[in-house]
Amino acid sequence: METEVKDQLVSIEKPELIAPPNWEPVIMGILCNWCSYAGSDLTGTSRIQYPPNIRIIRVPCSSRVDPWFLIKSLQTTADGVLVSGCHPGDCHYITGNYYARRRFLVTKKLLNFVGFHENRIQFSWVSAAEGPKFAKVVAKVTEDIKKLGPLHLYKKENFEKK
Amino acid sequence: MNYTKQIQDIAAKLFAEGKIDVFVGYRLNGFDDNQVPVLITDPQDVSKLVFTDKSVFNLVNYLKTDHTRRKRIGLVVKGCDSRSLNLMLTENQVKRENLYVVGICCEGVVDDTGQKMQNCTECVVPDAVVYDELLGTSGRDGSGRDGSGSRDGSGSRDGSQTHPYATTHPYATTHPYAATHPYTVNVDIAALAEKPLTERAAYFEEIFENCIRCNACRHSCPLCYCAKCCIDQETATLYNGANTTSAAFHALMTWSLHLAGRCVDCRNCEKACPMHLPLHLLHKQNESVIYENFQEHLAGVIPEDRGAFYKYSLKDPDDFIM
Repeated sequence: METEVKDQLVSIEKPELIAPPNWEPVIMGILCNWCSYAGSDLTGTSRIQYPPNIRIIRVPCSSRVDPWFLIKSLQTTADGVLVSGCHPGDCHYITGNYYARRRFLVTKKLLNFVGFHENRIQFSWVSAAEGPKFAKVVAKVTEDIKKLGPLHLYKKENFEKK
Repeated sequence: MNYTKQIQDIAAKLFAEGKIDVFVGYRLNGFDDNQVPVLITDPQDVSKLVFTDKSVFNLVNYLKTDHTRRKRIGLVVKGCDSRSLNLMLTENQVKRENLYVVGICCEGVVDDTGQKMQNCTECVVPDAVVYDELLGTSGRDGSGRDGSGSRDGSGSRDGSQTHPYATTHPYATTHPYAATHPYTVNVDIAALAEKPLTERAAYFEEIFENCIRCNACRHSCPLCYCAKCCIDQETATLYNGANTTSAAFHALMTWSLHLAGRCVDCRNCEKACPMHLPLHLLHKQNESVIYENFQEHLAGVIPEDRGAFYKYSLKDPDDFIM
């Protein structure tokens, strides 16, 4: 296990030492159907470029996001997670994102507590009219995670018997 | 703290009056003065019951088994146990009219080494908050409590009452099994949270690596009552059941997030853990985040309070969201 911990240490402090050449991060984007997914659609139809590192999953509401989705993403392929929903007060289901907000904070703090950098778990509110904002958010998250390097902590493949 | 005689009398009386089918209490384990839980169905056996400061386990856990589910039950609860009972009542897992609860004004229980459990030294709700009968007097030693807890019995039988000690909040500092296990040497959660990320990662990696995935923590938790647990799914597409560090990370994180805002810090999970992992760290971390950011009360103290994730406030912190 020492190697993985060391990798994590290196990848936080000197990502260029651990990242393979031309490495690109994989970001799991979990977007709510009514605002952020429509926002990302607007980004595309407006011909605004954003980094292709994000892999988008559509969910009915940001409160549909079980913290377990984030854990599973980080455990398997993702180097970072972005969860996006409607602005507070704009939820299609009236209060869904208020409940989600509490869960997000606790999940983020807990994952940070056990050793994930806080920039690997990011949240945003993006409305259906904010195409340019979505592009900016994805660019920022990608940049943050590029700085951190690949994620090795608790990755499934590191622990499977070979 | 010795309520052996009173509890035996109460159990005998309840059996004689036909009020209960089962009495859940503690008995000596037969080897030394440590105790194990016992389910008594025969009135002849009430002399087995004991209660001292070695009565460490949370008996509310036994309300979720098939042995007790549809029966009338007599039950002994300490302060922390009664909070988990309060949550089970709120979440409609047990019926109040089927229970006869003997509450204890707890003075703290001791672990195997004879030292007071660490969560007991920091306990702010030592007295049972749900009870039909309360043994002992509250506000005894004055540590962490002001002695003003009114015990007029207004909360009895029809539910429970708001506890006067619910406004203060403790943090973990050291671990009770510190002497026995290298992973739990003086775990100071506040200091741990301030350590560099890499040190925390290494610390928790060792914890998850040593988990043997026996799920005893899940079984021993009174609030993990789901008939089919999400971490038991055998299809590996949803959940990785392998005994690896990665799978243990997944299971323990999921488990602690399901208990976030509900954990009452009875430490039944740690008492059950064969690897002596400091599982309370995850729960305490969640508890401190919830307390600091949402100003939630301790779980289970207020009746009909379902915990932090069942409600929201417009003033919840929003600065971590872009």
